[in-house]
Amino acid sequence: MLIAVSWRNIWRNRVRSLVVITAITLGIMAGIFSTAFMRGMMEQRMDTAIRTEISNLRVQDSLFRKTSELRYFIPGGTGLAGRLDTLPHVAGCSPRIVVQAMISSAESGTGVTLTGVMPQEERRVTDVAEKLIEGEYLTGVRRNPVLISKKLADKLDIHLRSRVVITLQDLHKDLTAAAFRVVGIYRTTNTSWDETHVFVRYDDLRRLTSLPPEAAHVLAIRTDDDRFTPELQERIRSLAPGLEVLTWKEISPELTYISAAMDQYMYLFIAIILLALLFGIINTMLMVILERRKEIGMLLAIGMSRTRIYLMIILETVMLTMAGGVSGVLFGTLLAKHFEHHYIDLSMFGKGLEQLGYNTLVHTHIDLAMLINVTLMVMLTGILAALYPAWKAIRYDPAEALRTE
Amino acid sequence: MKNHVIAWRNIWRNRRRTLITAASVFFGVIFAAVMSSMQEGSYGKMIDNVVKFYSGYLQVQQEDYWDNRTINNTFLLTDSLLREVEEVPRVTGTAPRLESFALASSEELTRGVAVIGIDPVREAAITDPAKWIISGRYLTPGDSGLLIGDELASYLRISIGDTLVLLGMGYHGVSAAGKYPVRGIFRYPLPKFNREFVYLDLRQAQELYWAPGRITSLVVMVRDHYDMPEVRRALRERIRPPLRVMSWDEMQPELVQIIASDRMGGRIFKAILYIIIGFGILGTVIMMFSERKRELAVMIAIGMQKRTLAAVLFLETLYIALLGVLTGLLASLVINTWFYHHPIRITGQAAKAFTDMGIEPVYAFSLMPSIFLNQMITVFILVMVISLYPVVRIARLDISKALRG
Repeated sequence: MLIAVSWRNIWRNRVRSLVVITAITLGIMAGIFSTAFMRGMMEQRMDTAIRTEISNLRVQDSLFRKTSELRYFIPGGTGLAGRLDTLPHVAGCSPRIVVQAMISSAESGTGVTLTGVMPQEERRVTDVAEKLIEGEYLTGVRRNPVLISKKLADKLDIHLRSRVVITLQDLHKDLTAAAFRVVGIYRTTNTSWDETHVFVRYDDLRRLTSLPPEAAHVLAIRTDDDRFTPELQERIRSLAPGLEVLTWKEISPELTYISAAMDQYMYLFIAIILLALLFGIINTMLMVILERRKEIGMLLAIGMSRTRIYLMIILETVMLTMAGGVSGVLFGTLLAKHFEHHYIDLSMFGKGLEQLGYNTLVHTHIDLAMLINVTLMVMLTGILAALYPAWKAIRYDPAEALRTE
Repeated sequence: MKNHVIAWRNIWRNRRRTLITAASVFFGVIFAAVMSSMQEGSYGKMIDNVVKFYSGYLQVQQEDYWDNRTINNTFLLTDSLLREVEEVPRVTGTAPRLESFALASSEELTRGVAVIGIDPVREAAITDPAKWIISGRYLTPGDSGLLIGDELASYLRISIGDTLVLLGMGYHGVSAAGKYPVRGIFRYPLPKFNREFVYLDLRQAQELYWAPGRITSLVVMVRDHYDMPEVRRALRERIRPPLRVMSWDEMQPELVQIIASDRMGGRIFKAILYIIIGFGILGTVIMMFSERKRELAVMIAIGMQKRTLAAVLFLETLYIALLGVLTGLLASLVINTWFYHHPIRITGQAAKAFTDMGIEPVYAFSLMPSIFLNQMITVFILVMVISLYPVVRIARLDISKALRG
């Protein structure tokens, strides 16, 4: 019954209540939408990082990870990759040779990370093949084909079918070079990564570096569902003793760090909005109990317990706050859901975002946990705001209060 | 004058309410001012890092150089050009540079590096590499040695006195090769520079690349990025094709966009905050009006001008807001000044996330006057908009009804 009374009490002064409710609605809507926005950006970033750049799991020699030196290869790497490929939940396992090299055109030269891949296997692990904007993906009978990014092509002032020279230090520490022809140009949403990653065929690179047959530096694995990654990691560790098997979280802890930090920022953001709202709610409730001084005095005089009055005020405040909170969550969710399907276009910040690896077409991302947390935070704010006014209300002396005009 | 006194006294008729409302403005102002200070401080630092460690505020280049950064797009540095540039007002210094790419080999390993030929004396006044030397010493004019970053030194396993072989492509396609002893090792706050940069004396670099007297750019420094546009304009009047003047924002559009997008995000957040606070003030104003309806009606009935009354109500709103704004600005001035002199250093995982994005891991604060001015202007606009409420209600006040209320 107290609930019904509290709810009706809110609407005794419609304008004032609506002002507070609108403020809360706007604040929460903004909070939910921006959280969904940032979450969406992060999800896309992590997705790109895993799908294009680092994969779910990596198998390599631990010394290779630390020094990137050519001699720390996995002997029999391609054979191992074939075996790992048959494991359940492995969508693909691609053996690669990775070496730091210099690529030069007629005009210019620069340092890159050169990766020798087996096109069929690599396609099942990364989506670079889908990011081609010109040419083809290292298939075809051409001798020494190379796949570079648009950013690199512009930097070296070359295009499809241009000739480049790749210079590197082979296994015997000799400097060696070979001519390659550009057969494909790709472009991802991470231009920094694009600029330094160049792809050639495994066989061509193995010959050039004088590595023994079946050698590989990195086995990149994509799982069909990331949840199975940890158990796969265990299995592969037992199949490949002496080698390091790392998940993407271990390879790039900054990604998870940024994601977690972003989450914290968003909750902080909402907390600050609620703090700003707190002042307004307190003021409103103080006004409410002042107006109803006589009425409260009356209730006290006819025997309503102070506890009940205290609860009534708290309930009223919470209902007022929640009215705004719930509608804020509702509208915020509607807005976010809309943008889940229609992306937000940030291409005016395109160059900057892409340098950091973020997509310019952003989809928002909502999840239930977030909404529940926000609703709880709003409720807490209502309770906090009520404490002072309710305390004042129960301190009224009934005799004096009854005599208010 | 009398209006001011009346307005001031009126707001203290309900101390608690006034104080709480002012507190909400105080909170908003402090928050917005500190956040803005942190943002502007960070941007300043990011620009600073790029400008002071690498590009300088402006560069004079051969007109094709920026699109095609090869050794063939160099120009001859003449005394007359140097004089012309240095005569432009507000130019604080100039330094010539020859930059190109090379493969650097130690006894063990090879790595692609960016070779920067500098005039040790002139460069000291601009990017001051000497400040960051951690072992060995800085270059002397005509020095036959080179400076190398600490990460590069550890990768190549070399130290002071060891020889580094540089191999590259020289002017008009001639092969470039040379041997240089390591004179000094430096460590910049940004790891990327420590991994990729090698400094040579300018004459040595020109000899290496077969480009005597030629440079890729003349770096021009001014006091700060606010002076830059004026100097750029003056320079562009004097420098004619085949030479061209570029400023840091044209050379780093990604950085400009990253800053712009962050700034916009900040503006949106502050807007939400102030809207919420605005609602809080509106609520208070509504309450103040409705509880004095009878009193206001009496005043009008006995002859007070409606517009005088409206003015008084406007001043009341203004004073409450002013209370919050002034205290808020004072507090934020203290906080910002403190952190301006003691920037917050970031450590651990967070630090790595920052350096990965190419940003120095520190929170710097800015004391730009516009930060504080903007808060005042925003609150003032808020007050103007909110004051429309009492003004409209006074204008529409039905005196006979209100008198009986």
